[in-house]
Amino acid sequence: MEGEEFYGAAYKGSKQFKQQDVKTANATGFGAAADDYMERGIDLNEQLVRNKPATYFFKMKSDAMQQAGIFDGDILIVDRSLKKANGKIIVAVLNGDLLVRRYHENFSSAFLIPDNDRYKPINLGEFTDFKLWGVVTYVIHQV
Amino acid sequence: MKAIVDCNNFYCSCERLFQPHLDNKPVVVLSNNDGCIVSRSDEAKKLGVEMAGPYFMAKPLIEKHDVAVFSSNYNLYGDLSWRVMETLRIILGNHNVEVYSVDEAFLDLSIFPTENFPRIAKEIRTTVEDWTGIKVSVGVAPTKVLAKLANRIAKKNKQQTDCIAVLDTEEKICAALRKTVVGDIWGVGSQYAKKLKELWGIYDAWQLRNVNEEFAHKHLGGVVGIRLIRELKGIEAKEMENELVTKKMIATTRMFGSAVGDIDSIKEAVATYTSRAAEKLRRQHSAARIINVFVVAKGENHNVDFRGATHSDYITLPTATSFTNELIKPAVALVDKLYEKGKLYKKAGVMLSGIVPDMSIQGNLFLSETKNCERKLMDMIDNINFSQRDDVLKFAASGTTRDWKMRQELRSPRYTTRWNELYEVS
Repeated sequence: MEGEEFYGAAYKGSKQFKQQDVKTANATGFGAAADDYMERGIDLNEQLVRNKPATYFFKMKSDAMQQAGIFDGDILIVDRSLKKANGKIIVAVLNGDLLVRRYHENFSSAFLIPDNDRYKPINLGEFTDFKLWGVVTYVIHQV
Repeated sequence: MKAIVDCNNFYCSCERLFQPHLDNKPVVVLSNNDGCIVSRSDEAKKLGVEMAGPYFMAKPLIEKHDVAVFSSNYNLYGDLSWRVMETLRIILGNHNVEVYSVDEAFLDLSIFPTENFPRIAKEIRTTVEDWTGIKVSVGVAPTKVLAKLANRIAKKNKQQTDCIAVLDTEEKICAALRKTVVGDIWGVGSQYAKKLKELWGIYDAWQLRNVNEEFAHKHLGGVVGIRLIRELKGIEAKEMENELVTKKMIATTRMFGSAVGDIDSIKEAVATYTSRAAEKLRRQHSAARIINVFVVAKGENHNVDFRGATHSDYITLPTATSFTNELIKPAVALVDKLYEKGKLYKKAGVMLSGIVPDMSIQGNLFLSETKNCERKLMDMIDNINFSQRDDVLKFAASGTTRDWKMRQELRSPRYTTRWNELYEVS
């Protein structure tokens, strides 16, 4: 009973709609010719939030991930239902604090790596209390 | 098979989600107005902090052991509750989940092709925890009453049970029943428990299960008693229920932050509570005909409610309504009747009853033009308050100077419902 096959890949985001919500799809059948081509507009929730009950928003408050394109003040979209994997940017719980870093592991050890040369990688040795909080899926950056 | 999923110390778990340094540390959450303790972490329970005890009484203990204290953050708990329930609905399908309270849901497990219930329970528990960050306990058994009983056992000894208890054989059910005193059975109140013990020497669930149905009918509340006995025997007598029941009464009652003497302030408070109750009324598409108001003075027992004749009174309206303006007027008039000069008041409440489906919804052809306009106005107010939050639009009767909402001095940010209160991570 693997997680994936169990729940399927169906859309679990926030958008709910009915045929009636499509503005010109009226019941008379005398809609405009363009009705045949009418479809829903793009919805950011649908695109950026894959699993709503597992999705949380954070605000980045440091420049530790600047070279990954995450700047101070940016909004992070974090999905708790995803598993951590090499190279993913994650929200980690490290010794009781929340931290955004890139996760990296090799055959012998694991690291939290900043994307900024001014910061040092953190070795997740046996004396650190590390847990995954969630995986960062998107960054919202105001230009 | 049925299951109940119950969040572990729910409010405390919500606070810990964004403050993981509090994992394994004692945490308590306070009630409205920071009056009582309403949620305790296991560590706080171990220290001897009393449930529902007044905060000021527990304060020395709390300070001595450096217990983390939070005011209730209902916006956060509400959102996390939705996430837990939604996760369950995604796993099992909407029809197999019955939300029983803010932190509990019954599940119908009959959809699973396997009989491996420990594995199913674990899958459910870990998925909810992974997705939402909230830890839950799962009790599985042939009936709802037994599932509740299983859940109690799962919660009692978390290390041993891994927060899961499955009663899928007759032996396991019997052992669990023998371990459970009658007062801990779901649906057996403390008065029944006392009666069972004193009159008939029935102490545990096993003894209770073995009474005959005649006895149950006679002494345990008729059909309800028979159902209970059947459920204990593993025969389903309580089906999954549709949770969207329309409330027959809607009440808003609050303690004031501090005692109030002048009538205008009390009117403002009552108008505020009336607006809140009317909003709840509209949310379930109902209208109400009876409005009941009560006030409690300082020094009086604050457990009195709408039944206390000296403190409360009601007005029956000519027609049922859900419009705030039509409800505020009689509510405020009731304050005039109840108020006694010279007294200081500490609590007030508004209750709407005589509830019927709202006929004015969506512009009714048979209603006057003004009624339809008022309906639109209410919709607009609700929409704006829902999207902007914090009741940006309110009736002038509710006042503009005082905040009649709860006192919440130790509330954490509303991390999941407010854009400007997001968790700042480094």
